[in-house]
Amino acid sequence: MVNPVFIIVVLLGAGFLLGLFRKTGISLARVAGLLALAFPLYVSVGWMLHFIGQTAQPYVVYTAGTVPPFSINLRMGPDEAFLTAAINMLGFFGFIYLFRLFKSQGVSTIILYLVLFMGLNVIVMTRDIFNLFVFLEIASIALIGLVLVNKGIDALSAGFKYLIAVSVISSILLVGIGFIYYYSGTLNIDGFIENNSLVMKGLSTAVFLVLVAVVLELKAFPANGWALDVYQSAHPGISALISAGTATASLFVLYKLLPFGGHLWLQVAAVIGLVTFVGSNMLGIAQKNANRLLGYSSVGQIGLLVAVIGFSDDLGSHLRMIFFGLFISHFLSKAGLFWLSGMAGEEEISKWSVLRKKPALLLIFGMFVFSLIGFPPFPSFYGKWQLVMDLSGNGQILWIALILLGTMFEGVYLFRWLGFAIKHEVDESKAPDTAAEKMIPAGAFALLLLGASWVSNAYFPGAMKTSFLPLYFILFLFLIDFLPLVIKNTLSILSLGYYGWRLYPSIQDDTLRLVFAGIFLIGGMLTLFAGYSEKGKRPGFYPFALMMYAGLIGLVEADNLFGFFFAWELMTMGSYILIIRGKKSLVHAYNYMLFSLGGALLILFGIALTVAGQPDISLSMLASPAYPGWAYALLAVGFLTKTAALGLHIWLPGAHAEAESDVSPMVSGILLKAGAFGLVILFLAMGGGEAGRHPLLYALGWLGALTALGGNLMAVFQEDAKRLLAYSSVGNLGYILFAFSFMTHIGWLTGLTYSINHFLFKTLLFLAIGGVVMRVKTHNMYEMGGLIKRMPWSFIAVLVGIITLAGIPPLSGFAGKWLFYNAVIAKGWFLQGALVFFAGTIAFLYCFKLIYSVFLGQEKDRFRKVKEAPVWYIIPQFILIVGIMIFSARPEIVLKPIGALLSQAAFFPSEPLAWENVTAYTNLGYWSGFNIMLVIGAMFVVLLGWLLLMSRKAQKVKQFNIVYAGEAPFTPETTHFSHNMFAPYNKALGFLIHPVATQFWLGVNNTFHALAESARKIYSGNGQSYIIHIVAYIVVVYLILS
Amino acid sequence: MNLPGIEYLSLGLGIVLFLAGLWGIIHQKNIIKIIISFSVLDTSIHLILVSIGYMRNRTAPIIDSAVSKTDAASQVVDPLPQALVLTAIVIGVGITALMLTYALKLFNEKGTLEIDKFKSLKW
Amino acid sequence: MIRNSFLVLITAGMAWILLDAVSGYQSREYLNDLSGYYATSGPEETGAANLVTAVVVTYRGLDTLGEVTILFLTATIIGFMLRTSKRREGSVRRATSEVLVTASNVLIPVIFLIGVYIFLNGHLTPGGGFQGGAVLASAMILWIMSQSGTKVSHSLLEITEAISGFGFVFLGLLGIILAGGFLDNTFLSLGTFGKLISAGAIPVIYSLIGLKVGAELSNIILVMNETQEAEQ
Repeated sequence: MVNPVFIIVVLLGAGFLLGLFRKTGISLARVAGLLALAFPLYVSVGWMLHFIGQTAQPYVVYTAGTVPPFSINLRMGPDEAFLTAAINMLGFFGFIYLFRLFKSQGVSTIILYLVLFMGLNVIVMTRDIFNLFVFLEIASIALIGLVLVNKGIDALSAGFKYLIAVSVISSILLVGIGFIYYYSGTLNIDGFIENNSLVMKGLSTAVFLVLVAVVLELKAFPANGWALDVYQSAHPGISALISAGTATASLFVLYKLLPFGGHLWLQVAAVIGLVTFVGSNMLGIAQKNANRLLGYSSVGQIGLLVAVIGFSDDLGSHLRMIFFGLFISHFLSKAGLFWLSGMAGEEEISKWSVLRKKPALLLIFGMFVFSLIGFPPFPSFYGKWQLVMDLSGNGQILWIALILLGTMFEGVYLFRWLGFAIKHEVDESKAPDTAAEKMIPAGAFALLLLGASWVSNAYFPGAMKTSFLPLYFILFLFLIDFLPLVIKNTLSILSLGYYGWRLYPSIQDDTLRLVFAGIFLIGGMLTLFAGYSEKGKRPGFYPFALMMYAGLIGLVEADNLFGFFFAWELMTMGSYILIIRGKKSLVHAYNYMLFSLGGALLILFGIALTVAGQPDISLSMLASPAYPGWAYALLAVGFLTKTAALGLHIWLPGAHAEAESDVSPMVSGILLKAGAFGLVILFLAMGGGEAGRHPLLYALGWLGALTALGGNLMAVFQEDAKRLLAYSSVGNLGYILFAFSFMTHIGWLTGLTYSINHFLFKTLLFLAIGGVVMRVKTHNMYEMGGLIKRMPWSFIAVLVGIITLAGIPPLSGFAGKWLFYNAVIAKGWFLQGALVFFAGTIAFLYCFKLIYSVFLGQEKDRFRKVKEAPVWYIIPQFILIVGIMIFSARPEIVLKPIGALLSQAAFFPSEPLAWENVTAYTNLGYWSGFNIMLVIGAMFVVLLGWLLLMSRKAQKVKQFNIVYAGEAPFTPETTHFSHNMFAPYNKALGFLIHPVATQFWLGVNNTFHALAESARKIYSGNGQSYIIHIVAYIVVVYLILS
Repeated sequence: MNLPGIEYLSLGLGIVLFLAGLWGIIHQKNIIKIIISFSVLDTSIHLILVSIGYMRNRTAPIIDSAVSKTDAASQVVDPLPQALVLTAIVIGVGITALMLTYALKLFNEKGTLEIDKFKSLKW
Repeated sequence: MIRNSFLVLITAGMAWILLDAVSGYQSREYLNDLSGYYATSGPEETGAANLVTAVVVTYRGLDTLGEVTILFLTATIIGFMLRTSKRREGSVRRATSEVLVTASNVLIPVIFLIGVYIFLNGHLTPGGGFQGGAVLASAMILWIMSQSGTKVSHSLLEITEAISGFGFVFLGLLGIILAGGFLDNTFLSLGTFGKLISAGAIPVIYSLIGLKVGAELSNIILVMNETQEAEQ
């Protein structure tokens, strides 16, 4: 292993020697610079690998041939090796990124660059506090020089603000160091920590000065305006160095020096860090400039890392792991994002749509964004999970809340930005800069991020291992994205089949899981089928579709909370991208993501309050949470965001309605069941019997009933066919929630029957309507009409769908209803039951509207030539119809084993439902799906035959256009009966669907925006104000501490 | 030099100068005056450092005819703060030069040295 | 008004913090362990009579390397910043006064010699590389003022700067190879205590520092002067 002091020798020696080539030899200087930077990378990575392989001991470099404290010493331990490796990695790739810039800026900038990285390396390694001061100054000055490669007043004034701010901060640091020497007689960090206690006021004040200066170097909120200006105005390649490089070194400085302040300062760091994390991210909400936004995000992330260091005592042996997860994600993503910013060449975040012209860039951008917020499989996901679990174990509940709040704020602006990139209009005249020297670093950091994800999975504690097999397949789909659609679609369908075959043995005895796995897998295969009708290659669709399905199946497969949450987030990520693909989905996908993120954070919070730091994270822990009330409530609300319970539903209609034709059935018929499955898992853990009286369940029952009513009411008044179906889903999920809340055997049978039914008919309806919409190119039902002749197959599908939906015998919807009445009567929730019943009658209204407006009535002129929906849409519909028929005729195939399981597993031991062949008995009555099917089938055949017989002699009349009779208004369709069909009902019931929830969330949104907008006014742009902030910050912190 | 209490005096003076420099930095509007204030602040720190190393009735830490090699420890003042001050002075010189250059460039760009006028970036 | 009272308030706050920091101060009677070690073992280990020099060049040599680097950075940045400003052609200058020219012709060599003397004797007498370098630079100022119109070669200064900087690093490196560690001065003979050629590599290092500091400060002044001329 190479002596780390050679890092200094090589970088500084090269820097000095390059001074000889200032005028000439820029090409040579660039190559020399790159080689010089490769050397420290080689050295520190070498050390890191040896430490990982445990073939090296921490190494101390003595200078001047004397031991410390008499001389300065450097240390190369595992921490230092890792951090210098990261810094030097940045140095190497950052240099490549700036390769062209160096050519125009000359050798001086290369010198500054080399010296900057020399400084950062020493900052990490040195164990002498005054030496630290000197090299902090070196790094700051080199950076201030590099900021100037951007010409113009912005960079110049930002550089000056940075310069005076840093100078004041280091003056404070120097005074502190002076007094530390006076009181303790040493400048050696280890020596000081060993021998000194802070009983003396002078010494503790000196330590205060040192530590507060370090905290300010780390851009503590709100005394950080000076740094934000630099982030914004510097060349993105330089901002990347500040955000990832200097911040890394400064963080380690804090870590080294924090023991000076003892336990008290750990707490101070935790508070300062979290305030910075939450505050900075909140102000980011109102920010529209990409680089400044990244600045806010950087400051926030570093705040979180400061807090993690502050939590050292609570985190114990997990500290390094958590720090690694959060740090490496920030480090790689933030550098990568700044680099992307340079490539996009746009400051306004809405203009980042330019990235779409290079899908690879968009993909990398998405990776960095998801990794910053902490989605799996990125390391920050692991870090955040462990952090939250450990904090909960130490009772630091408030801290968890703050961390999650800050993450939410961060999600608000990052997802807005990502949405713009994916969906906002694109300026055709612009194109991203994809020169090789810029692609290499960004690509390398994206790959490193994937590598770090793999490392996290491999090295985090055992329970936190998940199978990466689906992820590898998704990666594979990315790689083959250039292939024709047929191949990708077939592979995707086959992979789901294979996964099902692989999964089956492990869950074959668990009927509950089997049902949901069936919905996810079979539903997935059927809906993917429709994709064959798509033209073109459909770039970027399959990886994310498969990501969603991998997540869904992962939920079923998970045997511990970590795996469950991992899958949950995977599903969210995939479905978000699927939803945003719709033409007008930008806003809706954003809403979906915000609610999903909020829900996910609540779930994480709930899990934390359940586990509370215990090593066992199996699902059975839910049975005995550390804080039962809060844990259950948070988990329930988290799951309810996915099932779109009333109040949390506002994202659903747009997201489902505006999605692509074959995505709507995926997200509506299938994805919603994830929330239902979450509730099932949760309720099961809460246990039968005793928990049946849990007040939470009572509340959820009411919520379910109201959701059913509200969803159905809103569906009635829709003109948009897909929105109607979407609102109908809200209502249906209300039924499901209501039924599960009973916590009785028969209630659960009802809930599961509803779940299966909803999957069958909603997937069917969305596929059918999706097929229609594809042909007629409009969502408005009143513009359609008379399509029965053009699209008879779709008509049959919709007919079967609405019969099932409305619960009309003989189809399985009625089975659900029959069970439902039994359950309500047994439970005694009559009032709520009446509400739900009322909601059911309302469902008839929209069912009628759907089939009447679309398929019946007069044919419109413009649709005389439309064809039937693509055959790839029809096939899965008829498979679903077969499914409905089977489930209607022989429900016991599914319900009997479920009933047995519910009794067997002692969830709901009483068995009020008995089966005799195909007939179900309760103490209230009996019902035989098969017989009813026979009877009604016979009636149907007789009536149809009679009708045909009677109409044998009927005369066919030609259609005449009643719509255009009289005058022809601008949009004649709106004069038709099917427009605003239920206006009279609207007069009577319209007040019930006043958009209270929408207004509420809009209000929340506006409040935070306004708050951020006014709070960020403190960053007045005046360099002097920034200094005043710094001084005031010091005084205030000192006041609070004393 | 045998003034009683000179170390207290210089230390006190250092603190006063520190505050004066700080006041100038946060109060003056002219960039050159801010830079001068920074110099005052910087110098005050040097003064504080030197005071910290000072010991009464002792001489400079150089071994010559006045100080014998063997009992230097009882005859000289603390050499370390002096070394630190040397470093600090040089760093201060560098930073001040840099600030002045910035001031020059800022003036060239905008024709003014009022710090309030450089607010193109904010929020 | 509100603003000023706020400023007074936070300045008072800083005063309070500083007073707390000095609250434990009292006159020192003894050297502490660290400085005691420098006083007793310093001369033996480094061979330097000037203990401050022993600390600056050897014990805390890494700081000094950093310090030199900071000056180097500053000079580089200033050169980089001001080089890019536009030069105006055809500026007219006043002629330099006769007295200044004559006096500086006499003084410059003397000042130069003094500077060299200071850094060569840095290990024996007060002063050293930085002080000597500053004196060299003052000779440069005088020369620039008296010899207006003549162009001074940047290249020479830059070469001096680069070579001496690299030399410093290289001597540090020799310390690792030939002696006890980076910047260990004992790879050259310590010689006779108190003589010019003694204290190992210290005089060599200090000379390099002197040259480097002199070249850098001169360069800064030169660049600033040229900019000023261009703008007049």
